[in-house]
Amino acid sequence: MGWEEMQVRGYSEFVRTAQSYHGRPIFALFCGDKDAEGRSWCPDCVTAEPIVRKELHNLPDESVFIYCLVGDRAYWKDPNNEFRRNLKLTAVPTLLKYGTPQKLVEEECFKAELVRMLFTED
Amino acid sequence: SVQAHKEEDNPQKTMEVNGLTPVPNSYDYDLIVIGGGSGGLAAAKEAAKYEKKVMVVDFVTPTPQGSSWGLGGTCVNVGCIPKKLMHQAALLGQALQDSRKFGWQFTEEVKHNWMIMTESVQNYIGSLNWGYRVALRDKKVTYENAYGEFVGPHTIKATNKKGIEKLYTAERFIIATGERPRYLGIPGDREYCISSDDLFSLPYCPGKTLVVGASYVALECAGFLAGLGLDVTVMVRSILLRGFDQDMANRIGEYMKEHGVNFIREFVPIKVEQIEEGAPGILKVTAKSTAGDQIIEGEYNTVLLAIGRDPCTRKIGLDKVGVNINEKTGKIPVNDEEQTNVPYIYAIGDILQDKLELTPVAIQAGRLLVRRLYAGATAKCDYVNVPTTVFTPLEYGACGYSEETAVEKFGEENIEVYHSNFWPLEWTVPSRDNNKCYAKIICNIQDNERVIGFHVLGPNAGEVTQGFAAAMKCGLTKEQLDSTVGIHPVCAEV
Repeated sequence: MGWEEMQVRGYSEFVRTAQSYHGRPIFALFCGDKDAEGRSWCPDCVTAEPIVRKELHNLPDESVFIYCLVGDRAYWKDPNNEFRRNLKLTAVPTLLKYGTPQKLVEEECFKAELVRMLFTED
Repeated sequence: SVQAHKEEDNPQKTMEVNGLTPVPNSYDYDLIVIGGGSGGLAAAKEAAKYEKKVMVVDFVTPTPQGSSWGLGGTCVNVGCIPKKLMHQAALLGQALQDSRKFGWQFTEEVKHNWMIMTESVQNYIGSLNWGYRVALRDKKVTYENAYGEFVGPHTIKATNKKGIEKLYTAERFIIATGERPRYLGIPGDREYCISSDDLFSLPYCPGKTLVVGASYVALECAGFLAGLGLDVTVMVRSILLRGFDQDMANRIGEYMKEHGVNFIREFVPIKVEQIEEGAPGILKVTAKSTAGDQIIEGEYNTVLLAIGRDPCTRKIGLDKVGVNINEKTGKIPVNDEEQTNVPYIYAIGDILQDKLELTPVAIQAGRLLVRRLYAGATAKCDYVNVPTTVFTPLEYGACGYSEETAVEKFGEENIEVYHSNFWPLEWTVPSRDNNKCYAKIICNIQDNERVIGFHVLGPNAGEVTQGFAAAMKCGLTKEQLDSTVGIHPVCAEV
């Protein structure tokens, strides 16, 4: 069946979407919001996104890739935002395998080798 | 001669594996590390720093109960890390009790949920496993989740969990395979008993538990299980904490006894039977006295064996490359540069004969070895004055000689022991024991009263001991200790 992508914005939408795919491997990339020109306030996210997208073809069959915009810079900087509190995110970009401790944070997302390892290995 | 063909990578390359013919002059790797635990990973990461081509092979043979775990070795998965976290869980339970005396008011009864604790601990361990894999990949160290064994000079066979075998060659090898818990060899032991390999990921609360053994593993596990509110009994064949200062060991035992741990002394189990299946079920243990013919029986939900650990050196093909091991213990003798009798094969960690079985020792040995091999360094691992801590309910930190060993080595008339009980300030208000915490130092009279042994029994013993270990390494004398002003009010000022 291959893999599919879902694009969401904000915590509630993320959780709803992840829950709806319960049972399938779920990978998620969290990035800062983009402005009207499609540029994110988070420079590392700008760097990471194309690198991650280039590895998507390695995703296992049946998996879901959720591309999630977390919010604006002010929301992200709040130490109590829901992503930090509930998902234990510490930074953006974060690329993770949902429901496992496996994740890559910030510059780790720039390394194609590591992204591939996250997508393809147990 | 036998010709072995490697799959995939180099179909044209063949090797003669007959023990006499030298292998080709270009190996697959500069270094292959067998075992991805504390020592193995430290050595591999260090070698990668010097741009060496390194491979780590790590594989966990599942326990009789089916438990297994990820990369990182014993310490991370089924040793120090989960142990300390569960010890902490037990301490927090005690703290909740104490807190009422400090004014905290809560009406609900405080209970412990094993599943919540275990899930949190396993989650953390999972993040460590992943972190190691990221670190290795990032440093370009090849990692294979496969069982490595020697099949000929400079050559190992790596078998993954699907049974697929691959051959790899290297200029040098480091064996860092560690140990696994020993079983009793009695009926019912493998079918019904668990070990520390199973305990930290047990998917159900162990309930009423019999811990067999008197090692630090046995006492630490018994300690936190009791601290979590479980009914715990420890069955001891002879003495507690063999190899440790016996006065301290007995104080630890006394404290545990006074705080609800049952001890059955001078008995060994001879049979374990299942009365009822379940998670946990009910087991019947029959034990025989070591001092006579008396037989006793008891029923427990869980039987945890902690009678010792055996090195994983018997089934890794050491005979194929001529590496000597101590046939009786399985340990590998090495020189002071961690080299085995085969010059290109080294060994580090718990498998070494006559060396301390501690994570920081393995890490240090691994790093220094690699620096000597690839960076021209000369420093050797210093195995003297290595501090340790036993995380029993009353923690015990030690560095240097036990009183018995000091007497044996220097003579009773040449050593002076200074000691003191102390009462932690935090224990006063909740009326906890006022005469249990204890500290002693052993001094060598003939050498300026140099401190050669340090022992402390009390809260945060590990934190207290670390600084004193550094001082001892610098040659601390009693006079210097006396002239150091204490911090007040802390236990360490004693």
